[in-house]
Amino acid sequence: MTRDEASRRWGGDAATRRAALGAVAAVLAAFVAVPASAAEEPVTGGTLVYLEQQAHTNLYPPAGGFYPNGGILNQITDKLTYQNPKTLEIEPWIAKSWTVDADATAYTFEIREGVTFSDGTPVDAAAVAKNFDTFGLGNKDLKLPVSEAINNYARSAVLGPLTVRFHFTKPSPGFLQATSVIGSGLVAPKTLALPFDQLGDATRIVGSGPFVIVRETLGREIQFAARKDYAWGPPQSSHGGRAYLDGIKLIVTPEDSVRIGALLAGQAHIIRQIQAYDEREVEAKGFPISAPSTRGVNNSIAFRPDNPLVADLRVRRALTLATDTREIVDTLYSEHYPRATSVIAATATGYRDLSAKLAPDAVAARRLLDEAGWRVGPDGIRRKDGRELALTAYESLPQPQNKDMLQLVAQQWAKVGVKLSVLAGDSGSRTLDMLDPLKTGVAPVMVGRADPDVIKSQFYPKNRDALLQKGGSSTKVQAFVDERLNGLFDAIAGEPDRAKRLQLVGEVQEYLLDQAYVIPIFEEPQAFAASPLVKGLAFEAVGRPSFYGTWLTRP
Amino acid sequence: MVRRLLARIGQALVVLLAAFTASFLLLQALPADAILIKFMNPDLGLSPEQIAEIHAAYGAGMPLWSQYLHALGNFLTGDFGTSVQAGVPVRDSLAANLPATLTLAALGFLAAVILALAVSFLSNLTGFVWLRNSLAALPSLFVSVPVFWLGILLIQVFSFQLKLVPVIDPGPWERLILPVAALAVPISAPLAQILMRNIDAVLTQPFVAVARAKGASRHSVLWRHVVPNALLPTLTIAGVLFGELLAGAVVTETVFGLNGLGTLTQQAVANQDMAVLQAVVVISATAFVLINLAVDLLYPLLDPRIAEADAR
Amino acid sequence: MSTVPTRVFASGSEAGRTAPAAAARRIARGGFAALRRTPPGLVLAWLVIATVVLWALAPGLFAGQNPVAGIAREKLLPPSAAHLLGTDALGRDLYARIVHGAVHSLSGAFVAVTVGLLAGTSLGLVAGARGGLVDLLVMRLVDTLLAIPTLLLSLTIIVLLGFGTVNAAIAVGLASVASFARLTRSEVVRVRGADYVEAAYGSGGTFWRVLWRHVLPNSLTSVIGLAALQFGTAILSISTLGFLGYGAPPPTPEWGLLIAEGRNYISRASWITTAPGIVVVLVVLSANRISRAFAGSPR
Repeated sequence: MTRDEASRRWGGDAATRRAALGAVAAVLAAFVAVPASAAEEPVTGGTLVYLEQQAHTNLYPPAGGFYPNGGILNQITDKLTYQNPKTLEIEPWIAKSWTVDADATAYTFEIREGVTFSDGTPVDAAAVAKNFDTFGLGNKDLKLPVSEAINNYARSAVLGPLTVRFHFTKPSPGFLQATSVIGSGLVAPKTLALPFDQLGDATRIVGSGPFVIVRETLGREIQFAARKDYAWGPPQSSHGGRAYLDGIKLIVTPEDSVRIGALLAGQAHIIRQIQAYDEREVEAKGFPISAPSTRGVNNSIAFRPDNPLVADLRVRRALTLATDTREIVDTLYSEHYPRATSVIAATATGYRDLSAKLAPDAVAARRLLDEAGWRVGPDGIRRKDGRELALTAYESLPQPQNKDMLQLVAQQWAKVGVKLSVLAGDSGSRTLDMLDPLKTGVAPVMVGRADPDVIKSQFYPKNRDALLQKGGSSTKVQAFVDERLNGLFDAIAGEPDRAKRLQLVGEVQEYLLDQAYVIPIFEEPQAFAASPLVKGLAFEAVGRPSFYGTWLTRP
Repeated sequence: MVRRLLARIGQALVVLLAAFTASFLLLQALPADAILIKFMNPDLGLSPEQIAEIHAAYGAGMPLWSQYLHALGNFLTGDFGTSVQAGVPVRDSLAANLPATLTLAALGFLAAVILALAVSFLSNLTGFVWLRNSLAALPSLFVSVPVFWLGILLIQVFSFQLKLVPVIDPGPWERLILPVAALAVPISAPLAQILMRNIDAVLTQPFVAVARAKGASRHSVLWRHVVPNALLPTLTIAGVLFGELLAGAVVTETVFGLNGLGTLTQQAVANQDMAVLQAVVVISATAFVLINLAVDLLYPLLDPRIAEADAR
Repeated sequence: MSTVPTRVFASGSEAGRTAPAAAARRIARGGFAALRRTPPGLVLAWLVIATVVLWALAPGLFAGQNPVAGIAREKLLPPSAAHLLGTDALGRDLYARIVHGAVHSLSGAFVAVTVGLLAGTSLGLVAGARGGLVDLLVMRLVDTLLAIPTLLLSLTIIVLLGFGTVNAAIAVGLASVASFARLTRSEVVRVRGADYVEAAYGSGGTFWRVLWRHVLPNSLTSVIGLAALQFGTAILSISTLGFLGYGAPPPTPEWGLLIAEGRNYISRASWITTAPGIVVVLVVLSANRISRAFAGSPR
């Protein structure tokens, strides 16, 4: 950027700015009169400055669940299918058509012609097969893990240059949706030949998406450039050709105050993670806020029942009753953060309204704790057999205002005589303690994915294992295992009939709340704030931004 | 003189080795390790067995002394190992980050010296008592403000309110203005305090009175006689201030979102990336030792009184 | 130590209330005379320190509201009569949090200084008094401490010991050992050469006895000066650790943590970070002023 451009963009020196003010006012007055449709004509060009809260960790597509990873992958990769964010229906994209056999154990995809990765290699049956073989089975030698979105994967078969079939050991009804998620972004076979370690380097990720990564300063900044020859945008999008933007400059800006200030001062176009308390000021200044739902497991507090303090259902139920989600949402969040009414968001597939099970009742909570034998001690904290009913949770940094949320929960629990300590902790201690149910009796959890499988992703011992079951991610667990719950998950993952599957999804929500394994708090959105210059902002089904159709009114 | 030089170099090497050993032991005592932190991430869905395999593949689990000798040998040959978190050789991340921090630190130190000189001269030159007193109080104020807070306030005021300097995507020099200011303010405080004390002390020396008696003006006495003599002791704390500069760099780089040794250090602590931390310790210890060695050796050359004492 | 300025303050304020009485005028004159003898800046500094020490000893007397549990719906209120400094995101009274936080910050700084003072002074004393090989070894040890970046040392120690005010304080204190050791050593070397110390040796005093009776007391003034200075520095260091995410766990209202956590609200509710920031600046300034008084500087 030349100096001249720079000064124009940042408003220049004070004198110029004062002189320009009058002109701007005149132009603004003229703009008001212009009909909306004329202003809606997309403009090609310009670089979008995008402020991200956290640096990405790894760009192996199945690691795209982490917001910063997903925000990058969504710009540089395409998916086989497209999940319409409005209807949640699966629509064609890189696959122009597909067939599924009756018991959902084989899927055949016809791939669109002429699609290429940014290194020039074709996106053909072999490349797609290689992608899903890796995502479905993992690769031990390269330390590439299995995607949490894909269940019961067996093998692929290349039937023709553009025809590929996937076989499954058991029915895998979630697979079609799984081909549309951020974790199934298609990358060039040479990217998948790299060890996991090297996939943190964004410049090595070769996808077929509308943007390519041209430069990276690790942990700080990524520059994207539009692919001029891109011609395979999702059929539903307004245009099929190249992205309107010339490029994107993603700058990692962890300081909340700097992201907000920079946006309002005109130094950035769009920021991720605007906190609820800044929303009013930002909107008042004419900066629109987008808060797409992540349609997955709600922002919740999960119990680790292997910890003897919360092994008793009555204690878990009491703590659920002691938690007042209305107070939490009213105090810390905004209308973009709806109160949770079930384990998953109301916009998620298979949602069942269970708000009756989540109504706060401190009196009932105290009674249950009394029944369970926990008596209030002299300091107001309940005790049994000389042990305090004191739990510990680690703050989760990516979740919005999590530290404040946990402190508020601690205040609410204190009213029924339960102590909750909130720890910040360095990532080393946190990683170790989070795997030890005795050290962390409760933990904040959340995962977004617009398929019923998302509940399994969160709680299944072989996936994220939020409850810490024996045989799962931790070797510290003594005994806790819930076969009934895991059986339900297996059934959901393998039930080909959609109606029956949704029935099971409802059952698992009920079961999780009946067992009080988890306290859902609110439906977590991904909150973005954008400059009024930004138009055509879109989000995929679980809230990752897509800048393919985005343009700047003044590039 | 040669003997003295050799002795000082020998001592410096001992300090380096001790710093290496102490930091090695300290880092080994940390509860988790980088491999665990990186691969225990639930997004990866690795089983405990898989993680144990990865662990073994990285060579963890060797006896401590053999790891120590291994690391020491590597360092002596210039091999700083591999950063587990970033998956790149430590030498590469240092090469990418060190120049930025050196620039920041050097400019910060320069700005601090200028600021300190300005404050101490003005307070000595001005005839107004109130101005003299308030200038003399400035260093205390400078050293009382938390650097991160100062940085955030500077950003709010100069970038967001006055819109003078962008903090997002600035030019190569623009990006240094506010961080250098934030870094220089606290560093300048001890410099200014020492300068003021030295100027006061030098002004009472007989040779100043002689110079004044010969008809030199207050200004010229200050410039010709007082400043060189007052600056000298200031040099000695330069070495100590280096550590402050690095700590300041961690904070300023975090606040201003700059890349450098500071952010590298902070991330390495969070991820317990031993190789990186060990390298940071060795680099800063080397810098510290070199600066102090230089100060020690230069001092007699600049101050004839010490040279005489040395000769005796 | 703190009695002198407190008395000065008390007589001064009494004078304001009962000005007509002649007796009071006399007291007032005495008070002002005492004030004139002590530089006003120093009086203010002692006042600030006395106030925060009282906050730490009896926070309930100064702030009635609960510092760790607020009224959720009264969040982010600007300063008012009900909430002198407003409220934070959880509806907690900020003034109460600052007052109740004094004990955490001050004890943190106190622990830090004690650790540095005890360890550093002993090292410096032994090195300076013994001289020779011991001196050489101890001072190289001190150099090693200085050579390892302070902040890195502090962060690592906190990770090692766990999070909390006391652990952070120990980490900060260990990082200041070197300065105390260097200063004590140079003081001891200076005192050791003095005639009366030579005389004490001459009259048959043992090494440790001379050290304790003569060397230590005479080296102490400047060491206490450094301790006061370090007291301020420790508060800042602990707050920096809070900013980097290595502070005490919530809801501890430690000052550094208040500044660090309040910074996120700077555009919405700037008082949340400004108020504790100003308190810290004032306390550190006062500690520095007192330190200079010990060092014998008039300003």
